[in-house]
Amino acid sequence: MKVSYKWLKELTGLDWSPDEMGDRLTLSGASCEYIESTARYMDNVVVGQVIELGAIEGADKIQKAVVDDGTGRVDVVCGAPNVAAQQKIAFARIGARLVGDFLIKKVKIRGIESFGMICSERELGMSDDHSGIIVLDDDAPVGTLLVEHLDYDDFMLTFELTPNRPDSMSAIGIARDLAALASVKLRRPQIDLTEVATPASDSVKVSIDDPEACPRYAARIIKNVKIAPSPWWVRRRLLACGVRPVSNVVDITNLVMLECGHPLHAFDLDRFGSDEVVVRRAHDREKFSTLDGQEHILDEQVLLITNGKSGVAAGGVMGGLNSEVENDTTNLLLEAAYFNPSVIRKSRRKLETVSESSSRFEKGADPNGIKYAINRAAQLMHELCGGEVQAGIVDCYPKRIEPRTIELRPARCNAVLGSNYSTERMKQILTDLELQVSGDDPLEVTAPTFRPDLEREIDLIEEVVRIEGFDSIKDSVTNIGPLFSRTLPEDQFAREARWVLTACGFDEMLDHGLGSSRVAKLFNPDLPQVRILNPVSEELDIMRNSLVPSALAAVSHNLAHRVLDLRLFELGKVYFAGSDDTDWREPERLALAVSGNTPQGWRETARPLDFHDLTGALQRLVEHFRWPDFDFVPDKVWFLDDRISFRIESEERAVGWAGLIAPDQARALGVKQPVLVAEIDLDGLIDTRKDRIQFEPLAVYPAAPRDLAVLVDVAVPAGEIIECVRQAAGKLAESVEVFDLYTGKQIEKGRKSIALSINYRSQSGSLSTEQVEEIQRRVVSKLEQQFNAEIRDK
Amino acid sequence: MSPLEEVARLRHEALERISTADSLASLKEFRVQYLGRKGRLTAILKGLKDLPVEQRKQVGAEANKCRVQLEHDFDAAERKFSEKSEAPLIDPTLPGTAQRVGAMHLTTQVIEEMCGIFYGMGFEIARGPDIETDYYNFSALNFPPDHPARDMQDTFFVEGDRLLRTHTTPVQIRELEKQKPPIKIITPGKCFRNEAISSRAHVAFHQVDGFLIDEGVTMADLKGCLVAFCKAFFGEGLKLKFRPSYFPFTEPSAEVDIQCFLCGGDGCTVCKRTGWLEILGCGMIDPAVLEMTGHDPEKYTGYAFGIGVERPAMLKYRIDDIRLFFNNDLRFLRQFV
Repeated sequence: MKVSYKWLKELTGLDWSPDEMGDRLTLSGASCEYIESTARYMDNVVVGQVIELGAIEGADKIQKAVVDDGTGRVDVVCGAPNVAAQQKIAFARIGARLVGDFLIKKVKIRGIESFGMICSERELGMSDDHSGIIVLDDDAPVGTLLVEHLDYDDFMLTFELTPNRPDSMSAIGIARDLAALASVKLRRPQIDLTEVATPASDSVKVSIDDPEACPRYAARIIKNVKIAPSPWWVRRRLLACGVRPVSNVVDITNLVMLECGHPLHAFDLDRFGSDEVVVRRAHDREKFSTLDGQEHILDEQVLLITNGKSGVAAGGVMGGLNSEVENDTTNLLLEAAYFNPSVIRKSRRKLETVSESSSRFEKGADPNGIKYAINRAAQLMHELCGGEVQAGIVDCYPKRIEPRTIELRPARCNAVLGSNYSTERMKQILTDLELQVSGDDPLEVTAPTFRPDLEREIDLIEEVVRIEGFDSIKDSVTNIGPLFSRTLPEDQFAREARWVLTACGFDEMLDHGLGSSRVAKLFNPDLPQVRILNPVSEELDIMRNSLVPSALAAVSHNLAHRVLDLRLFELGKVYFAGSDDTDWREPERLALAVSGNTPQGWRETARPLDFHDLTGALQRLVEHFRWPDFDFVPDKVWFLDDRISFRIESEERAVGWAGLIAPDQARALGVKQPVLVAEIDLDGLIDTRKDRIQFEPLAVYPAAPRDLAVLVDVAVPAGEIIECVRQAAGKLAESVEVFDLYTGKQIEKGRKSIALSINYRSQSGSLSTEQVEEIQRRVVSKLEQQFNAEIRDK
Repeated sequence: MSPLEEVARLRHEALERISTADSLASLKEFRVQYLGRKGRLTAILKGLKDLPVEQRKQVGAEANKCRVQLEHDFDAAERKFSEKSEAPLIDPTLPGTAQRVGAMHLTTQVIEEMCGIFYGMGFEIARGPDIETDYYNFSALNFPPDHPARDMQDTFFVEGDRLLRTHTTPVQIRELEKQKPPIKIITPGKCFRNEAISSRAHVAFHQVDGFLIDEGVTMADLKGCLVAFCKAFFGEGLKLKFRPSYFPFTEPSAEVDIQCFLCGGDGCTVCKRTGWLEILGCGMIDPAVLEMTGHDPEKYTGYAFGIGVERPAMLKYRIDDIRLFFNNDLRFLRQFV
């Protein structure tokens, strides 16, 4: 909302600068976002006079004007349709800087030198009107600065208002806060209304069918108005509030709304169609055209102002095309009504439009501010349009809405705020805000109906602190709360998992969690999806049910930007719907994805990242969290390539899957190089973490390391060979590691060589060479027996 | 010449040659001449066994002393030459052997930093579901039935009468239902808004919400807590501005602006020439919220606040596109290793 600075000065009598006003208002709840000078594009712009006009050869849209700017005559090229000789106009001299940082210089157009510009309102930043140049009064003194002539030296303050404060949506509303801040009295315009003898009630009757939706409807009748442009002071005020002037009657309804916040509507009485106003709900499928020319098909959500037969206005939202005030209008029906906020909200949603009027009514107008508004408008219509105001208001207000009385305990106020305000100060602030206060403890506070937001004691406490300012509360310097803060196990888990995985060289990715139903179906056709009812796009129409598509999307994004070597992980949620009987579930998952190569260095040779890079990282996690070992069981997983596709098990419970992304799924996301992924469900695992490490005494007796290279069929899993060694050696095998794996030329086809490094150690004494050889023989014979293994080199 | 004299002369001669040698090659040659297998000193040492016992001891000691000295001097002289003429052993400007450590996501890092500060003040972390009910996201937080946030334009609705939480404040209600005061909790997490994705807006963002409920909690405590947080997170010496605002679940409500830490309040493009940056919302918990969750608002008061994660991070690291937080571009992620 925009308000004129001069208007605020007039209403408060304060001589604060625009900046001071803006800052003080911001700190008391009406956030002032911008302050702009209304005359910021008027430097070097003066009153000029068009002395003569001449055609330019070969140009029919532009003319040459000779302009007197008070210092002499200059030639100016002008293209405005309404330019005429003898006119007084707004003339921008060379050096003026107009809207859009447009600097006026000497230019040559069609061979004619032009020494300035005749301006429209838009070019001077007054409005967006560019239909023609500004034509000034005939008696405007040539050569005077335009800003002086128009008395246009003002500032436009733009406010961002919170939705709970409809009272501040007007000049008086803002001025009321200013008055309270400065503790001065608000200077409302005095109403001195001249009425003719004929009572308005002879001309019109008002009835309300739905008083819940429209608790009050008031009308005045004004005859014999002359529609004309408003006097300059009205137009200037509207312009300084960012509103485009139209004609006197419309301008007055706008001006009064800007002044007191109450929307008004003027009907052309002769086009109204009857002498009665009936406020009712629209019928289903009733047709109605609003004054913007739109035809609407209504339903009963819309509150309709009718003439007893058909609609003349969508109440509180927009007037009708059939009863609009036009240039030949002479008689008016002036409406000031109060509508239920939620009715207006539904109504304007149905009409798919928002107006200045609806945005005020839907936040809450003042049912008891109607008299001021309608009388103020009637007075101005009498003064500025020559209208004859018929006697009295035809006021249908079946059940008066009374102001609320609220108790405020001064001690409670200070207890909530941690402040030290005196009761007197609280009283004064509330009184300055035009609330009625009596009593001492508690204060009995009556909140006028223009403050629908004040309902409870806490609302009054907020009023006090907002005017006194948060700065008046001293920041506490001590801490309150528990002695000790615990950490959630899942947070501690996530933190440590990130340490482990980043230490393994994986970068953390993070996804928004939304996914595409199409992609999800391609990855896991049988997995249920949580659908979003109002998605922003088809690509984000579900909550994801797997981390794998997110990971692949991240890979795809990076490959598209030529980042080809990737090791990524994500800790995140997937989503499954519940029903009335079952819980909605958001299990935590871990995804790993690798693609491309390991880094190439001056001493490291790059190699392709593969499945074992995934299991390597997973094994570091298993080790860190002391989980039971993971088993990788060959399994068919929908989105994995059959050749590399495993179910991950922990103590025979499936906890995830790992493998190579299948070609269809890779293609769907535009990925052209192999990507290996693993996804683990963490929900069961976080709990199985063994927390306490049991110290094992350091070995007293020396170890006996032995290497052993065995030839076995390629299909024999390394894990089984290690297991076999462990079984054969029993507790004496302290560790068994694979240190080499070889297939190739020197080895028979279909066989592979696995080299093991075994550390034998006894806890009860040094092992002699003979003892070690004895164990090693046992190991060898078991391997030969079980796997048809041959021992190499020995 | 006695063997002793011979050793003395040899030493003298050799030292002379070491000091006058003009190349590494000649030094090496001299070394062979004196100390090589067939060298002159070696010959003396070999010949010791032929000397009488008395003499053998004396000459042996001298010859050995001489050998040690020559070896030492040859080494030193050779080192001098190789330093001059040969490549150094180590090129320290070569990159160290690759030790690739992954980067935690910036969002994770910022959340950790924020939570760490609050943890130090005695806040505990609580979490709640991303898919919420209207009750926890709106009704219990005192949103009126037709509040604009409930519009389809702002909130994602999900089948089964659920929605994607628009803030992490619902966790406040869940904890208020579970616990008795004093409760002092922060709730980091993901939130969602139905917005077209652009450089300024995304369908998802993160938030760290916090609240404290106890007897006698005041607005002064809220201010003290946030001032301490901002000092820790944004730096010392920056002014804060509390502006009255409106949230359905707090009253009085305030928005907090911090003096722009990039220009120190002088005005720059980041703060849009205002010198101030809007960073968080806060207020005293509305009595209606306490009442709805079964806590006596006469006995207990509380404060609550909510801070975005991406926005302060964008300000702090001067990131100009919020999409970078979600598209997992390695060129972005790796900047925050």
